[in-house]
Amino acid sequence: MPMTPQLSPVEEQERLLDEALSVVKIQALQMKRCLDRSKLMDGLKHASTMLGELRTSLLSPKSYYELYMAITDELRHLEFYLFDEFQKGRKVADLYELVQYAGNIVPRLYLLITVGLVYIKTNTCLKRNLLKDMVEMCRGVQHPLRGLFLRNYLLQCTRNVLPDVAEPGDESEGSVRDSIDFILMNFAEMNKLWVRMQHQGHSRDRERREREREELRILVGTNLVRLSQLETVNLDKYKKLVLPGILEQAVSCRDAIAQEYLMECIIQVFPDEFHLQTLHAFLKSCAELQLGVNVKNIIISLIDRLATFSQRADASVGTTGIPSDVRLFDVFSDQVSTIIQSRQDMPPEDIVALQVSLVNLAHKCYPDRVDYVDKVLLTTLQIFQKLNTDRIEYNSPVSRELTRLMKIPVDNYNSLLTILQLQHYGPLLDLFDYHGRKNLAAYLVNNALDNETQIPTQEQVDAVLTMLSSLIQDQLDQPPGEEDPEDFAEEQGLLGRFIHHLRSDIPDQQYLILSTARKHFGAGAKRRIKYTLPPIVFQAYQLAFKYRALRNEDEMWEKKCQKIFQFCHQTITALITAELAELPLRLFLQGAIAVGLMEFENYETVAYEFMSQAFSLYEDEISDSKAQLAAITLIAATFEQMSCFSEENHEPLRTQCALAASKLLKKPDQCRGVATCSHLFWSGKRASTGGKEMRDGKRVLECLKKGVRIGNQCMDPSVQVQLFVELLNHYIYFYEKDNEQVSVQVLNQLIGKIREELPNLEANEETEQINKHFTNTLEHLRNRLESPESEGLSYEGLIL
Amino acid sequence: MSFFGFGQSADIDISLDGTENRKMAEIKSEDGKKERHFLYYDGETVSGKVNVTLKKPGSKLEHQGIKIEFVGQIELYYDRGNHHEFTSLVKELARPGELIQNTLYAFEFLNVEKPFESYTGSNVRLRYFLRVTVVRRLSDVVKELDIVVHTLSCYPDMNNSIKMEVGIEDCLHIEFEYNKSKYHLKDVIVGKIYFLLVRIKIKNMEIAIIKRETTGSGPNTFTENETIAKYEIMDGAPVRGESIPIRVFLAGYDLTPSMRDINKKFSVRYYLNLVLMDEEDRRYFKQQEITLWRKGEKTRKNLQTSPSPQLLVTGGAESFIPAHNHSSDPQDPAGTIEDMKQDTNEEEHSSKMTVQTADAHGDACSTNLTADGMDE
Repeated sequence: MPMTPQLSPVEEQERLLDEALSVVKIQALQMKRCLDRSKLMDGLKHASTMLGELRTSLLSPKSYYELYMAITDELRHLEFYLFDEFQKGRKVADLYELVQYAGNIVPRLYLLITVGLVYIKTNTCLKRNLLKDMVEMCRGVQHPLRGLFLRNYLLQCTRNVLPDVAEPGDESEGSVRDSIDFILMNFAEMNKLWVRMQHQGHSRDRERREREREELRILVGTNLVRLSQLETVNLDKYKKLVLPGILEQAVSCRDAIAQEYLMECIIQVFPDEFHLQTLHAFLKSCAELQLGVNVKNIIISLIDRLATFSQRADASVGTTGIPSDVRLFDVFSDQVSTIIQSRQDMPPEDIVALQVSLVNLAHKCYPDRVDYVDKVLLTTLQIFQKLNTDRIEYNSPVSRELTRLMKIPVDNYNSLLTILQLQHYGPLLDLFDYHGRKNLAAYLVNNALDNETQIPTQEQVDAVLTMLSSLIQDQLDQPPGEEDPEDFAEEQGLLGRFIHHLRSDIPDQQYLILSTARKHFGAGAKRRIKYTLPPIVFQAYQLAFKYRALRNEDEMWEKKCQKIFQFCHQTITALITAELAELPLRLFLQGAIAVGLMEFENYETVAYEFMSQAFSLYEDEISDSKAQLAAITLIAATFEQMSCFSEENHEPLRTQCALAASKLLKKPDQCRGVATCSHLFWSGKRASTGGKEMRDGKRVLECLKKGVRIGNQCMDPSVQVQLFVELLNHYIYFYEKDNEQVSVQVLNQLIGKIREELPNLEANEETEQINKHFTNTLEHLRNRLESPESEGLSYEGLIL
Repeated sequence: MSFFGFGQSADIDISLDGTENRKMAEIKSEDGKKERHFLYYDGETVSGKVNVTLKKPGSKLEHQGIKIEFVGQIELYYDRGNHHEFTSLVKELARPGELIQNTLYAFEFLNVEKPFESYTGSNVRLRYFLRVTVVRRLSDVVKELDIVVHTLSCYPDMNNSIKMEVGIEDCLHIEFEYNKSKYHLKDVIVGKIYFLLVRIKIKNMEIAIIKRETTGSGPNTFTENETIAKYEIMDGAPVRGESIPIRVFLAGYDLTPSMRDINKKFSVRYYLNLVLMDEEDRRYFKQQEITLWRKGEKTRKNLQTSPSPQLLVTGGAESFIPAHNHSSDPQDPAGTIEDMKQDTNEEEHSSKMTVQTADAHGDACSTNLTADGMDE
């Protein structure tokens, strides 16, 4: 016996389908031949045999569909033939009865529908009854696949003959009411068959079955499409007949796949105007769906659609948007909470996702109703309270959803101030864990920066900073360990920038803002305050300038300025407490300059205090020699610019500078420090002399000489030469400033010395630089020599 | 009788009056061929002419008398020798004498009773015929002419629907309803099957029309079952709560009126057999007798003038089974079968059925369907 090779399931399907199709081909051909010879009865017999192929149970839905298409295509010939005959008046008596003698139900019903359609088309007064009859008779096919396709055939055949008039002109032709009943009934039956597929066969085939059901769902959905195509279905009919019919079936079928698909289908096929007026019913049904149904997606889909609708309506003139009597948000809000209540197993992230869609709805349909958004936030908050959730873990699904929820108002309003109006935003924010809070806080700050949002009152500042506290202060739930320093710096840098947005145009208000900010940021620990307090100090200095500008309008301005500088003093001191030195030093110096320009009562004392604070920082806190040099240079440079001090205060300060410089540890530092301080005796200004420069040439020269002396003590010839070149430049500066103590001889001497030493230096990069510096200096002198200025400054006797 | 052409003989020809207006009806002969004969109804006069033609003109034919008989008889195939005449009327056409020429005799059976319908079955035949006999000494010259008789009935006074709940415990409970218990031959059976409980995997369901011919009596009873029609009414497995429509047109099938105890010789009864087949090809069925009757043509025309096809929803008088109450509990069927008429009588209990009849009044009953794997 020859072995037949085992066919794979796919091949087996192909074979079965091919066999069936070839029968169809043969029978169709014979049917057509018989019809051509007007042998109707024989034709029908062949049609029936052909239709008998649809009785198979062996084909997969896909193959069955192909077979169905081939057969219904052939049935059209029969339909055309009969229609022709009927039109010619050659009516076959009792044809509708005749086809019902077919012994098998599947072929019988296909023929019944085909003939029924011809009857309806040629004699419209049969329409109403025939439609009812056909849809009722189809009940006989209870096999899901065969039943679905049979009813699909019914639906396809009748699509152009369904009555679509509000009131029947002739009772027997029917009205749209009959069409609705017809389709709803067909729909209900098809849905039942479709659902039944789920419960047939072995449980291990469940996946395949569900896939097959997915393939077939469009057959069920076509019913809804057909309903939506009935033009005389107005809102009233939709509300009273169509929708209740669909929902009743959808809910009662208790099948998750069907429910999800049908609800989505309703949303997609019917117009938004209808949805708006039937929200209650629709959403109420959503609450009654199976637990396995992803209600979230359904609601979101509806909300998105309506939101888009309202925007589209807004955009185009003439169309009406959401009618004022439809309380869209309230309806959704109520129903969503009902749904959440009725579904105890709903994961929290889905619950939040629903709230997200509510917020979206509120934004798109009611952009100015901040209270709606707040209401959603409150609801969300209550949900978490009910769930006894007090911490939401970062990056968990619910955290991601909630973050989405929280970002929507930020993105939509683009204003931190509006966010502040949301009373429940903060409490909800507090539910996040440390990372989550920080992440959102950074998002808020960035949004404010991008949109240049200013926070103009003390209360608002307080609220904002409370909301951002995860960035500002150490948190109780903060995980141990250091954060990435770069990330940290970036994040704190954001805050620094943000501080400049805490601003009111009213100075008094601004002062309150700053104090509030100071309170918040002050609690930020050492690692934060170095980023956050300086901007506050600078803001305060600016405020002082503002008061000064307004000094004619505000008689209290001096007091206020004093207070501001006190505030700054305290703030800077806070930085010192945090073991910082250079930063507070710079801030004190900056403050000193600011105070120096204020001219309020007592301002010299304040300035002196700031300077002296800088000095004590220098003395107590700065030990690194390089830092010391930098600090003393800074102090000297600041002091040189100030003109507010009387001789009484000026003298100790400048002396202190020179002294400090000469006491530097390293010789080169001493040299440079002293050289720098020399300028204090020349361009330093005293209030007592009306702010004129001191021009104490002698003291200048003393300083420079001291510099040369110290330079001579340097062991490293390279450093020595470098110092000499620098000193030469100082000399030249003062020579050009007409300091009579500086003579050409001194210059010559110094140049000679450099010339002498320079060639002995090792040839390296450093030497080259020194050489270049020196050459440039000489070049400058040569220029001066060759083109002397008219005022008589002369370099006569200079030896180059 | 004439041998070798000697002696006179005659051809007899019977012609009936008014044949141009009389309908013909079809009936099967004993060997299964279809024949057509003139159709008469009960009480109609049968009249006509008998033409005796002499085969040899000029010579005379001697006879002992010429008579015509109107016979209605029942022939049982297993008892060929005995024909049971239930009607036999004789008219003398000529007294004994000689026939010299071709002669025409008129005859008339006035308003003759024809109580039964012509019938050809598998074991029995009921026929009507006219027989002309020229009585002769040696061999009679005989001629017979068959006619067909249809018995007409009126619309039955009582025509309740058949409604019954049947089932197999914890397995299958259905309720079925046929809109009538008595159907005329061109009638339509309309009904519904309502599934109360389905715990088996049903493959399909069909309705068969079964003709049961019973002949003889006592120990010599012969029963012949014939399936006239098989009609699939459901494909696939229904679930609880499903109701399936039934509509069977009878006109297309070869049916006769139901006959009960015709002259104590035979009966012909019809049954609707509701058969459910499960996926293991087990069959569950329930038979239910229906009475078929023949409706008069005239009344029929009146009723059938409607051009519209026969639909489930038309014909207001016909009982269209109302929607079922979905809450009806299959375990407690009392509510749903309360208004059932007496739709079982002892005759229809075949040997294959077990029936639980609740009480003597037959107001409520629960009938077991029979599961029978062997039944083909």
